[in-house]
Amino acid sequence: MVEKEQAMTHPIRIIHYLNQFFGGIGGEDKADVGLEIRRGPVGPGLGLQHALGPDGEIIATLICGDNYFHMQMATVRTAVLDIVGDLRPDILVAGPAFNAGRYGMACGEVCKVVAERAHMPTVTAMYPENPAVETYRRVPNLWILPTGATAADMRAVLPRLATLIRKLGRGQPLGPARAEGLIPRGQRVLTTASRPGAERAVTMLLAKLRGQPFQTELPLYQLESVPPASPVADLRTARLATITTAGLVPRGNPDGFKVFNATRWSRYRLPDAPALNGEDWEIIHGGFNTAYAQANPNLVLPLDVLRELVGEMIGELDEYFYSITGVGTSLAVAKQAGEAIAASLGEDHVDAALLVAT
Amino acid sequence: MDLEDQGAIKATVEELGSDDIVVILGSPDPDAAEMYAETVTLGDPTYAGPLAGVSLRLPVYNIFEPEIKEQIPPEVYQEQVAMMEMVLPAEEICARVRAVREKAGVSS
Repeated sequence: MVEKEQAMTHPIRIIHYLNQFFGGIGGEDKADVGLEIRRGPVGPGLGLQHALGPDGEIIATLICGDNYFHMQMATVRTAVLDIVGDLRPDILVAGPAFNAGRYGMACGEVCKVVAERAHMPTVTAMYPENPAVETYRRVPNLWILPTGATAADMRAVLPRLATLIRKLGRGQPLGPARAEGLIPRGQRVLTTASRPGAERAVTMLLAKLRGQPFQTELPLYQLESVPPASPVADLRTARLATITTAGLVPRGNPDGFKVFNATRWSRYRLPDAPALNGEDWEIIHGGFNTAYAQANPNLVLPLDVLRELVGEMIGELDEYFYSITGVGTSLAVAKQAGEAIAASLGEDHVDAALLVAT
Repeated sequence: MDLEDQGAIKATVEELGSDDIVVILGSPDPDAAEMYAETVTLGDPTYAGPLAGVSLRLPVYNIFEPEIKEQIPPEVYQEQVAMMEMVLPAEEICARVRAVREKAGVSS
């Protein structure tokens, strides 16, 4: 009885995982730092601790560089499990990661290994379009709270995270993901409804016919399957086009590209020169340091190398290249752009396209 | 705002006081501008940097705002800034920074 009372009232013991940025070590140049452990809350953990009040205690913070995590994943996984075994927290929290891809995957992976191997609840928070959501949302003992795309949402997320930690840490049952404000985990739980299915269905149908909002009980996920294109039969006879997401445009930005959240793409004629000249082109992109690509646009559209390869490895180059600014582009815009670019490539009888990464 | 910049601003205020310091932002999107403005007024909202929990309440403006723009020689503004003002959502950026100033009760 005494033990039970203590279990009900002691602060929930939390281990918090952060990357090198939110851990206060540094930005991209520090992404190679290894896993370290600090006592108590750090960075966003300070805000989380404040939101939890006396209900929880962040006993330790794990900080790891995003690059190190992905290059040494097995080592980090083992180290995290050792620390969790030593400190015996009630719950592990990772992030929030917002729309950061590598950080999101690291948060998901840390939660997964602790959930599966240490058998305890784990929580992370990120933007619903973060690639880690689809990878980790169905893992048992792992819950994902949806956030905005950027850390601007931090202030709003931390109290929600604290509420979820209180429930999980106290072993309280959670309702459906929709009611709890969580990303759905694809789990079905049996419950008893107050009205029979036929009545509920008719109510929904009437609402639908009246144009009123209603909530389906059987959401259908539209998972898109994209069949890969067939391989290029012989590159030496193929007509190759180039696409860049670096926001490469003629000097003066004639089409008004924006540095973020692209809403348009354009097609520009390649110059009749052996390479691109930085004086004729401009980089409209808010996601990387454009100084180098500005000085040498061939870094983001390798015309210099492609010209050398024509006749040897490549049949011919399409006379145009396609350009879009790939920073925070919405899926809908990207899809429209992709379809339109593909149609244009088809009209020009292009056999293959090189999408240059930035 | 990266950790080095936050540290530099904090150290500057600790050394010189905050009376004669104005922060001018060149942030390219509204979310970042709002976050940076909050960082130097109410404290780092992401809790990542040295200004987490530190309210410096410095006057902060984006370079597109009239208070700053009118102090720059027009030909210099035209050459260095006007192009970016055209391609970025300048109005929203300015509105968000202004809103943070009002929330924090700071002005120069």
